[in-house]
Amino acid sequence: MSDRRLPIHPAQRVDRSRPLTFSFDGKSVAAFHGETIAAALCAEGVQTLSRSFKYHRRRGLLCAAGRCPNCLMTVDGVPNVRTCTEPVRDGAVVRSQHAWPSLENDVQGVLDSFDALIPVGFYYKTFMQPRWLWPTYERALRRLAGLGRFDPTLEPGANSDVVHLHTDVAIVGGGPAGLSAALEAARLGADAVLIDDQPRLGGHLQWHLLATEGTTPDYQVAERLAQRVRAEPRIRVLSDATAFGLYEGRLLTVIQRERMSKVRADRIVVASGGFEHPLVFQNNDLPGVFLGEGIQRVIALYGIAPGKRAVVVANDNRGLRAARELKAAGIELAAVVDARVDSDAALRTLGASVALAGYTVVEAHGSKRVERVSLARLDASGRPTKGSEQTVAADLLVLAAGWEPNTTLLAQESCSLEFRGDLGARFPTGLPEWLSVAGEVAGAATLDGILRNGTQAGLRAAVLIGLGDAADRAASTAATTGLEPSGSVRPTMAAHSNTKEFVCLCEDVSTKDIKHALQEGFDHIQTLKRYTTVTMGPCQGKMCHHTSVELCASMTGQTIAATGTTTTRPPAAPVPLGLLAGPAHNLIRQTPCHHRHNESGVTWMDMGAWKRPLVYSTVEAECRAVHEHVGIIDVGTLGKLDVKGRDAAAYLEWIHPNRVANLKPGRIRYRVMLDDAGIIVDDGTIARLGDDHFFVTTGTGALESVEQWLEWWLADGARCVHTTNITAALGAVNVAGPKSRELLSRVTDLDLSSAAVPYLGLAQGLVAGVPALLLRIGFVGELGYELHFPAEYGDYLWSTLLEAGNDLGIAPFGVEAQRVLRLEKLHIIPGHDTDALSNPFEADLGWAVKLEKPDFIGRAALSRLHGQPLRQRLVGFEMTDGTLPFEGDAVVAGNAPVGRVTSAKRSPLLGRTIGMAWVPPDLAVEGSLVHVKTQDRVSEGRVVLKPFYDPEGERLKG
Amino acid sequence: MSFLLACPNCGPRDVYEFRFGGEFGSRPRPDAPAESWSRYLYTRTNEAGVQKEWWYHRGGCHAWFLAIRDTRTNVVVDVMRPEAIS
Repeated sequence: MSDRRLPIHPAQRVDRSRPLTFSFDGKSVAAFHGETIAAALCAEGVQTLSRSFKYHRRRGLLCAAGRCPNCLMTVDGVPNVRTCTEPVRDGAVVRSQHAWPSLENDVQGVLDSFDALIPVGFYYKTFMQPRWLWPTYERALRRLAGLGRFDPTLEPGANSDVVHLHTDVAIVGGGPAGLSAALEAARLGADAVLIDDQPRLGGHLQWHLLATEGTTPDYQVAERLAQRVRAEPRIRVLSDATAFGLYEGRLLTVIQRERMSKVRADRIVVASGGFEHPLVFQNNDLPGVFLGEGIQRVIALYGIAPGKRAVVVANDNRGLRAARELKAAGIELAAVVDARVDSDAALRTLGASVALAGYTVVEAHGSKRVERVSLARLDASGRPTKGSEQTVAADLLVLAAGWEPNTTLLAQESCSLEFRGDLGARFPTGLPEWLSVAGEVAGAATLDGILRNGTQAGLRAAVLIGLGDAADRAASTAATTGLEPSGSVRPTMAAHSNTKEFVCLCEDVSTKDIKHALQEGFDHIQTLKRYTTVTMGPCQGKMCHHTSVELCASMTGQTIAATGTTTTRPPAAPVPLGLLAGPAHNLIRQTPCHHRHNESGVTWMDMGAWKRPLVYSTVEAECRAVHEHVGIIDVGTLGKLDVKGRDAAAYLEWIHPNRVANLKPGRIRYRVMLDDAGIIVDDGTIARLGDDHFFVTTGTGALESVEQWLEWWLADGARCVHTTNITAALGAVNVAGPKSRELLSRVTDLDLSSAAVPYLGLAQGLVAGVPALLLRIGFVGELGYELHFPAEYGDYLWSTLLEAGNDLGIAPFGVEAQRVLRLEKLHIIPGHDTDALSNPFEADLGWAVKLEKPDFIGRAALSRLHGQPLRQRLVGFEMTDGTLPFEGDAVVAGNAPVGRVTSAKRSPLLGRTIGMAWVPPDLAVEGSLVHVKTQDRVSEGRVVLKPFYDPEGERLKG
Repeated sequence: MSFLLACPNCGPRDVYEFRFGGEFGSRPRPDAPAESWSRYLYTRTNEAGVQKEWWYHRGGCHAWFLAIRDTRTNVVVDVMRPEAIS
């Protein structure tokens, strides 16, 4: 065991009885269960964990909390994993990123010496000429910069879950304030969801081994609170859970491994605590520099002492506690400095070799890691005094002087953040009444204050939703408690110009870069950010936002409040896109006859969510069967609406441009539907089943909108009409072909003679014992019947009809054959042959428009269009040279497009390519030549105005 | 956009269960001038504030209803069944 490992302690998350191994850049590393990858590497003595984004400088463990970019590595092929929070898995393959040939010897580290040539924004000014080299520059620069490599062959992870939770009070943060708030809210009877991003409850107390107040060590205070929370049935705890978004409607989005939880709460309490950001000084990014909470985590949670001699830089009691924790772990305090000039007394109790009040750090020295630290005295204005420097030998530099409240989530809600000079940070104000803060993020600084403040927040949240008795309500209106000031003081940002003072570790932005950007005119915090890319890296500004605002303020002579901030948007922490995509549900709709089609050798196609048969054998064979014998097609996807009521006839008459009221019971009519701009939106059929009863069919894709449309005009309740969507309740098949009557007569007693059921007539009765509605219509141009029947008979009826027609040459036909057949008859498909500008006059449906009706949807537009010259006409055409154009190809005159092809198919029966196209009116003459630009050629066709096949419809009406 | 909308039949639901149906307005008389029809079909008030609008409960009871919503904050002030208006 390495000498960096400390004795076992109950606060540790590590189980030393369960050893593991993993590999790091090819070398085997010994670890224990419960360790993080970075902690195990730290115990092994690995100091450099990564190379920085631009200059390839060495970077080591800094925050140890999953915020900074220093520990990013590729783990089992997944890039950019934060190894300081990622638990070790036995056999894991861990690789460093972005260093070549190795992390220790990265040749790109030479860039660090050429930083003067690649200052901030260099890519806006250089590496652009000559222009023909730009792609080369881009490739090279992309290779030099960047983080991990993505492996496109990697299988996507398991499907992610989405869980919806509804609760009274949602609490973000499982530290002392959050735990207290949850317990208090539950005591008053509220249900609570507690969201905590650590594996165990307790917040920052978990890594404080000493007692801050009284005699109970902090981590034990945390454990007792956590035990009470775990025992409270009203509190649901989400651990390892990061709340990354706060959205309108009191919606919190939470990521937990492969699960996203969407939490809706009546009241939300944010007890997110705070975190530290690094100070800015020369070489502040050397391995060996730790944040105060970071090194305490490494010591307490993982039992590792990352060095032997530490310099601690403090500006409040937090820093002094960090020094005490280090000393208790056996780390020598080479120096402790505190920016507060009056901290002498407190400093003397620490037992440090050097203890200086009113001092700060100005430089870290070392080639690969911290070796020496330079300290300087602060003058009255808070700037380091030249000439006062002292240098101390150390291998650890602990920065505990940059604490700020964790307001990332709150800032999404655009609550105001008010800069409190006395507290040295921005605290939330102006919160909506359903959102409150508790604990350190609200401004509490002592443990006692945090607990009182948290409890009060829980009480108030519960009282606001109506819980609690009179005493609770009175207590909830008392003044906010626990917010005693921490007395910290900040070293003012000096206008440094050194190039190795890093503000943004993610993007390698130094104070010199900030200064240059300001000089170039990017002196607003928003433009400064965009030009320098400060705060735009993986830490999302956690390490650098505060500092960049301070620098911008001090270098432009403005107050911090006037400088403002950049905008905070979700997610508050990185979230994989796959998780946001949610579970990979593949929704499929199947018709009632679906399962029979596989037996006939079907090729499927997708029509929206529907699975439809595209073809079974060949299009030629299927078309021939329909023309010569009988074919059967599954049309179960058609929209079917049952419309009933005293006013149904008048209503449908008003909705459609054609006449409906005079349709006799037992008869069917083609329906085309328009919107009030006179545009075609749908077509289908209306069958009148009775005086007050209609059966309406719509196009497959239009059903939802037609149903909504019909319901909307009925919404005022003025008409007695009821529409019911019975699409899923019915199966439907179209039996078409000269022998269709013969086939059906074998399985029904209904009289299907032309006299009894003429073209556009209907019949109702049993077909093969199944109650059915037969509509004699003719979309595919042959004698045929559309059968509608209860869905549960789908499989049975399909098989029965196929069997009954076996000796008649029956064949199932699919959508492809149907498309050819309907095109031979020039039957349009709205949405395919028409678009959002197509009116019925132009689409050759003028016959369906009865302007003499006093009113109908679209009448106002059409009455104005009537008699005016048409802009275009929808016509049929056949190609003279046999070319098959693509649907969408342009109709051209000369070189100019004047129309387009909407449908085009080869007709086996006619032996020609036929189609439909929009053409200028002067071309819409039988026999006119049209030219189609297809596949880079211009091909010739001829306009056909009457159906290609059976133009008089004799076969249909027989 | 993730506000809650209360369907008169089903109660408060995620707004994505619904389809927005446009601003509430009246269809012009059949013989109204072209200008009225043009305005009705092609222009919107586009209120930055409280407006009355149609919603359809697509993922639920399929009812059409009206809501009064502040478009600046997505706070829904009221919902009502359409029969209540004339």
